[in-house]
Amino acid sequence: MHRREALKSLAILSGGAVLVPSCNFETEDILAAYQNLNVTESMREVLAQIADTIIPPGSLKGASDLAVQDFILVMVNDCIETDQQRVFTKGLQSFNTFSKKVANSSFSKLEQAEQEKVVAQGLSISNESTDEDEKTILEFLRLTKRFTIQGFMMSEYIMTQVKPYSLIPGEYNGAVLISSISTMKIDG
Amino acid sequence: MANLNIDAAKERTFQAIVIGSGMSGSWAAKELCEHGVKTLVIERGRDVKHLRDYPTTNMLPYEFEHRGQLTNQMKEENPVASRCYAFREDAMHFFVKDKEHPYVQEKPFDWIRGYQVGGKSLLWARQVQRWSDFDFEGPARDGFAVDWPIRYKDIAPWYSHVEKFAGVSGNKDGLPNLPDGEFLPGFELNIVEKYFQEQLKKNYGDTRHMILARCAHITGNLEYYQQQGRVKCQSRNLCQRGCPFGGYFSANASTLPWAEKTGNMTMRTDAVVHSIIYDEAKGKATGVRIVDANTKQTEEYFAEVIFVNAAALNTNLILLNSTSNRFPNGLGNDSGLLGKYVAFHNYRAGVSAEYEGFQEYTTSGGRPTSGYFPRFRNLHKQETDFLRGYAAGFSAGRYNYADQSGIGMTLKEEILNPSKYSPWSVGSHMMGETIPKETNCVALSTDEKDAWGIPLLKVNVDYDDNDEKMVKDYQEQMTEMFEKAGFTNIRVRDDQRAPGLDIHEMGGVRMGKDPKTSLLNKDHQLHACPNVYVTDGACMTSTSTQNPSLTYMAFAARAAHHAMKNLK
Repeated sequence: MHRREALKSLAILSGGAVLVPSCNFETEDILAAYQNLNVTESMREVLAQIADTIIPPGSLKGASDLAVQDFILVMVNDCIETDQQRVFTKGLQSFNTFSKKVANSSFSKLEQAEQEKVVAQGLSISNESTDEDEKTILEFLRLTKRFTIQGFMMSEYIMTQVKPYSLIPGEYNGAVLISSISTMKIDG
Repeated sequence: MANLNIDAAKERTFQAIVIGSGMSGSWAAKELCEHGVKTLVIERGRDVKHLRDYPTTNMLPYEFEHRGQLTNQMKEENPVASRCYAFREDAMHFFVKDKEHPYVQEKPFDWIRGYQVGGKSLLWARQVQRWSDFDFEGPARDGFAVDWPIRYKDIAPWYSHVEKFAGVSGNKDGLPNLPDGEFLPGFELNIVEKYFQEQLKKNYGDTRHMILARCAHITGNLEYYQQQGRVKCQSRNLCQRGCPFGGYFSANASTLPWAEKTGNMTMRTDAVVHSIIYDEAKGKATGVRIVDANTKQTEEYFAEVIFVNAAALNTNLILLNSTSNRFPNGLGNDSGLLGKYVAFHNYRAGVSAEYEGFQEYTTSGGRPTSGYFPRFRNLHKQETDFLRGYAAGFSAGRYNYADQSGIGMTLKEEILNPSKYSPWSVGSHMMGETIPKETNCVALSTDEKDAWGIPLLKVNVDYDDNDEKMVKDYQEQMTEMFEKAGFTNIRVRDDQRAPGLDIHEMGGVRMGKDPKTSLLNKDHQLHACPNVYVTDGACMTSTSTQNPSLTYMAFAARAAHHAMKNLK
């Protein structure tokens, strides 16, 4: 997290958040840490809510408890193709429009069950849809879901407290009967 | 002042100089130092000390900002390096970055390099299969390149020598084309791999074999390896980060600390070799001229014997750049063949499939190796319309995964308790012998230089018709073997990768009996300048199919002992 750490310390030095002026006439500034994306603080909050809809808190922490939204932004900003980055930003920007269209409300004002319906509906959009906006929502949600799952499962919390990860996997056994593997059910 | 200069020259004089601290150079250094020879090792990159300089070795997956993945920026800045499977977030600091070390691709060639102490021995895939006379006799039998000046009996004791010290895990398979060695206990083939082994026996008798690949990992004789500060391989499969256990062989964990312990080794890092100094009056090489990587100052070091182990293509570059009145076209290059007859291994093709049996089984734990097909094609006699043949890797596996179709608590419970198993997938990749040709060559650029004033290397290496036929045959034969074993959903691929990505580039300074058609004699000395030895990939007369590092190590040890005879 070097770049973001640096920006954070810069923020402390300058006595406030480091933001760069938005260039698309929005009133809100965009987050400078994700220079390839046009993401504002309120969009980041929507992303956190979507991530929490995909993996909600329960007996174990949920996605936003682990700041998975920041992991998603890092991965999208740094590791995916430019045209996918554009689709992601566009989908995130227009997600509330989509929510209003299918649930008559902005996403954050919906109950959890309603939010789940909106995300499920977005993910069920057909690959063959010819509606550009729908396709954008579908692609955006697919990317978000993929990185939510990765960010959650590969978080320090899961890998130390829930399913401890070992750098040493043990000696190879080339014929393990699946029925002999005992696993303890983990409640979400 | 005069005295100072004499002192300076004295301080810069050693009995032996080894250029390169990687797989083969570290072996030359270890043998020389162990026998009392004051040796200078020159390394163009930075120091990498075992344990101290493995910054990612114990990092957990969540400690990598991108969980191991490369960023777009890394890929864009390193189109060549990023094509290597091991160039990822955890090991990219051990690879040469494209921009820093340019070269000229007259034809596409992915040159993968590791400029640091230990070189690519930190990064290698650790597969160590011996050559046999089926390999050494190849050029003579099939009429290509020139006859190797040595045979298996010359190198066999040196294979044993390096296997014992490096630590090689494997089974004694009793195959004449892949001789057994000094093996520590082998890892295990899994239930599907063993099934395939039996199927081969049933369908092909004793003509085709799939065995456990021998790998340079410690699995036994632990007290012996403790002397090197190395312990048993823990099957982490994170080798490319540098191993805190010294579980696999690297120069950093094994040969270099051993050489250092003798007190006879001096390591000069950050020193880019410009050329080898040739003294016309004495009629021999007297030293090495380097450019300090940081200050860019030129310095000279002197020795009675010089080992060139800069890695195959850079060894060519150094010799080509070592010009004098006696050798206007590069050191030892009376034949005009220096830089020519470069070859590599053809890794383009693969075959994968699924197996429906053994659904009740899976695997657990880790294993740093897999299965291996020694060459069976054209082994005893010519039987196809192409020369030589291929080895192949083979492995089977399956994984536990979650149904990720839902969202919400359903998804969360499912990914925390993955309940599904993939079918067994089986896969193979080819390692084809390529035929060295005069037209596959490297040369120095006449107009472009690097940051240290050294001419860029021009690489002109390509596939030929023999390689195309071999790709097709591999795909057909592997498909047939898979079909006979009852594997389904068989898919063949040819990824059209450029040469070089195999990281098995060889030749250019080939061995041979005749100075008119080769550069090196049977003892790895330049015919025309015998106090210079070449024992890395550059010396290879032909490539055969085995992963070549073990052979370079054995060559280096053997040649070091030859050089010591003359020193004493």
